[in-house]
Amino acid sequence: MARSTAPRPATGRPHPDGPDRSRRLTARARRGPRAPRADRRLPEGGVRLRHRLRRDRALVLMTLPCVALLLVFAYLPIAGNVIAFQYFSPYAGDGFFESMANSAWAGLEQFERMVNDSYFWDALQNTLVFSALQLIFFFPIPIALAILINSILHSKVRAWAQAVLYLPHFFSWVLVITVFQQVLGGAGMVAQTLRENGWDDGFDLMTDPGFFKFLITFQVIWKDAGWGIIVFLAALSTVNQELYESAAVDGAGRWRRVWHVTLPALRPVIALLLVLQVGNMLTVGMEQFMIQRTAVGPGAAEVLDTYVWNTGIENGQFSYAAAIGIVKGVFSLALVLAANRVAHAMGEQGVYRRT
Amino acid sequence: MSNSPSAPSRRRFLASTAAAAAVTAGGIPLLTACGSDGGGGGGEGGTVAEADLRSILPTYRASDVAVEPDIAGENGASPGYTSFIPTDELGVTVPEPRGSGGEFRVMSPLWGTPPEAGNAYWTAMDEAIGVRINWQTQDGNTYGEKLGAVLAGSDIPDLVCVPGWELQGQIPRAIDSRFADLGPYLSGDKVLDYPNLAAIPTAAWEPAIFGGALRGLPMPAPPIGGVIPFYRQDLFEENGWEVPTDAEEFLSFCRDVTSARNRVWACEDMKWSAFIIHGVLPDKPQYWEEVDGRLVNRFETDAYLEALDWTRKLFDAGVVHPDGVANQGDALVRFTSGESLMFNQGQGVWHSTLTEQRTSNPDFRMNAFDFFGAGGEDPVLYAGNGSSLWTFLNKNLPEDRVREALEIANYCAAPYGTRENLLRTYGVEGVHHTVEGEQRVRTPQGETEVVPDTYVFLASPGHVVAASDVPQLVEDWTGWMRRQMPLVRESIFFGRQIQEPDRFTNLNDQFEDLEDDVVRGRRSLGDMRGAVAEWRRNGGDDLRDWYQRLRDEQS
Repeated sequence: MARSTAPRPATGRPHPDGPDRSRRLTARARRGPRAPRADRRLPEGGVRLRHRLRRDRALVLMTLPCVALLLVFAYLPIAGNVIAFQYFSPYAGDGFFESMANSAWAGLEQFERMVNDSYFWDALQNTLVFSALQLIFFFPIPIALAILINSILHSKVRAWAQAVLYLPHFFSWVLVITVFQQVLGGAGMVAQTLRENGWDDGFDLMTDPGFFKFLITFQVIWKDAGWGIIVFLAALSTVNQELYESAAVDGAGRWRRVWHVTLPALRPVIALLLVLQVGNMLTVGMEQFMIQRTAVGPGAAEVLDTYVWNTGIENGQFSYAAAIGIVKGVFSLALVLAANRVAHAMGEQGVYRRT
Repeated sequence: MSNSPSAPSRRRFLASTAAAAAVTAGGIPLLTACGSDGGGGGGEGGTVAEADLRSILPTYRASDVAVEPDIAGENGASPGYTSFIPTDELGVTVPEPRGSGGEFRVMSPLWGTPPEAGNAYWTAMDEAIGVRINWQTQDGNTYGEKLGAVLAGSDIPDLVCVPGWELQGQIPRAIDSRFADLGPYLSGDKVLDYPNLAAIPTAAWEPAIFGGALRGLPMPAPPIGGVIPFYRQDLFEENGWEVPTDAEEFLSFCRDVTSARNRVWACEDMKWSAFIIHGVLPDKPQYWEEVDGRLVNRFETDAYLEALDWTRKLFDAGVVHPDGVANQGDALVRFTSGESLMFNQGQGVWHSTLTEQRTSNPDFRMNAFDFFGAGGEDPVLYAGNGSSLWTFLNKNLPEDRVREALEIANYCAAPYGTRENLLRTYGVEGVHHTVEGEQRVRTPQGETEVVPDTYVFLASPGHVVAASDVPQLVEDWTGWMRRQMPLVRESIFFGRQIQEPDRFTNLNDQFEDLEDDVVRGRRSLGDMRGAVAEWRRNGGDDLRDWYQRLRDEQS
């Protein structure tokens, strides 16, 4: 999930492989005393690439494992999307590729089916509603928490508060939902306390399909808001303390310092995470919904990912599930690009910038 | 993991143990519809003539070491064993290891906490069989998901267990294309090389025929017991309650005994019992009955809607434990703690719960109540297949490896009263259990290593109820079975695997979700009727024609 990935904070430091460093690396790597300057003047691109590779050998080597992982687990499987245009049966042959070769072509039929599938549209709607609610209610909370934590000066208290806030992130969804069931369920703490005080109508927030979208937002906040502050704390740690002092000297109160010093420092990170969050709008998690599916029914709890899982893995409609997956991927990419544009328009770095 | 609430009802429901068939008389299926022969094309379902069936099935030969039961299996109920058999009087069917040390990768479901690899129990079993088993156990509650993914891939384990309730979607097709035909090793008298397999009742082998070939090693099931409605006998007696005897009375009884303020609810989700109480047809492929010469599907019957309506009334009355409504936590835990007084569950929990409660709550008693009918009608228990879980062998295994794998099955299928059976069910004496007087008592190590079922899935003997440690259980269980047996009926396609053509594969997918919606009051019975009408339009009527042709060929 996007929340748990911690992108490097934009600190404004110069890129580490500046000219000095590269010269040192190449000098070490070379046997002969060839002048490094000469490389840059060679006209053909191929030669330049080769020399650049040699110059940055250490860095390139360091990225190789990640590139290999990406290739094997992200890029290679893209080829499997071919089955979205087939009536794929994994049992049509031995192994995936033989099965693929033996399966009949369906053209765009799986996509047509998707357009006419009301369950798909329900799942899409749920997904977007949940994402929007999380964007509104979840997103600001880690920022506020980070500012709060940052204002604690006592280092032990601060470390303790951070630990308490991080902890729920490491609980599994089964556990989190069990805790919620014990508190908000029909036989939970709240319900039983009400009963003891003469309220016998029952109280149960865990099986109310209408309330479900707020319930799951609440669960996400409880579980992950603390974890989300890490990135913001890192960004805050780079703020020059003298700025606060000068602001204070100039007569700025607590709120004005937050508004004029802290928040501007967080702005690039907020913009970056917002872009990522928007790009992930169609991915709201799985386990949380699988576990509570029966409690509120698929009408309230089915999201795109669970729908893909149920149709593809549970019911064995691999081609149809793959088609939904493709649409989801394309739509998500469009969302990231759009959000990135908006970030650029606002003068922020965003996820990437063409140089 | 074990208490993962995410599992859809049926999986955990039917989960577990010690199943097995009492020999059901007659009713031998005449055809086993085979789908396509492993290809991706749509099989139109062929038939296996009775003569072919006879040539496929293994010869039955009763075990010559089996012990006479203390309670005979009347009416087709399973026989019961109450008396203690001292270790030195046990029979022997496999005097020395018959395997040659081969290693097998086995994928199987596991309910509970998986024991560590290389534990003393698994090692002892492997040494006694003469193989090394590399267990790849998966959470039983979500086993179907793993199964679908593994069978769709190309790296298939040597042995794979498949529970009958996971035969959804493409999995039957996978069985035909991925697993070995055991006919050349087991059909007819060939099975006599494996005496314990030869003693497995024929009724258990019949449903192990997939795609016209004998592919499965069966775990025999009793004719009834997939659903047992349990009640807290100790609490009922303490309060002077009588178990209700019809559906209406059940509702009012539940209202009376529920006391939410004291954390007591009458029951859990009783949908599965409701189906029996209202005489609803069982699952695919046995979900047809003939009315006036026309096939009618389970989903189209009034009984189906009535059962859902009755269950809905229970939910609506607030007598179902709220955690059960939310499908969270473990119903068994709520039952043993007294928060819910009745629940329905697979038979496997009966024995284990009684032994488990013996130390912490000596007064604990649970029993099964007799099914009652609705609206003056008798309940109907449709006979379950003679086996409902099978282990399959990878079709790429060479002949000598297949024979070695069959030795594993032969060992596991040793009948009650043999040394092999004792090792499989109780582990090693002094390590996994101790003999105290006339009882075998599990040690903590036995609880962690032997109790989570593993080897039983690789084949097991015909079903018996054996519990010398809790003789009361044997009497209760066999008595319950005997009383229910007259209510047992066979559906028209009883006893055989039927592979529906591809185009029908996902026809019924929405119903289980919809049932849960209806009983919880989120959707109406009218919605259900609408879904059934849609089902007919989307292929239900074609499916009926297809089954009708199958039936015509049969007669």
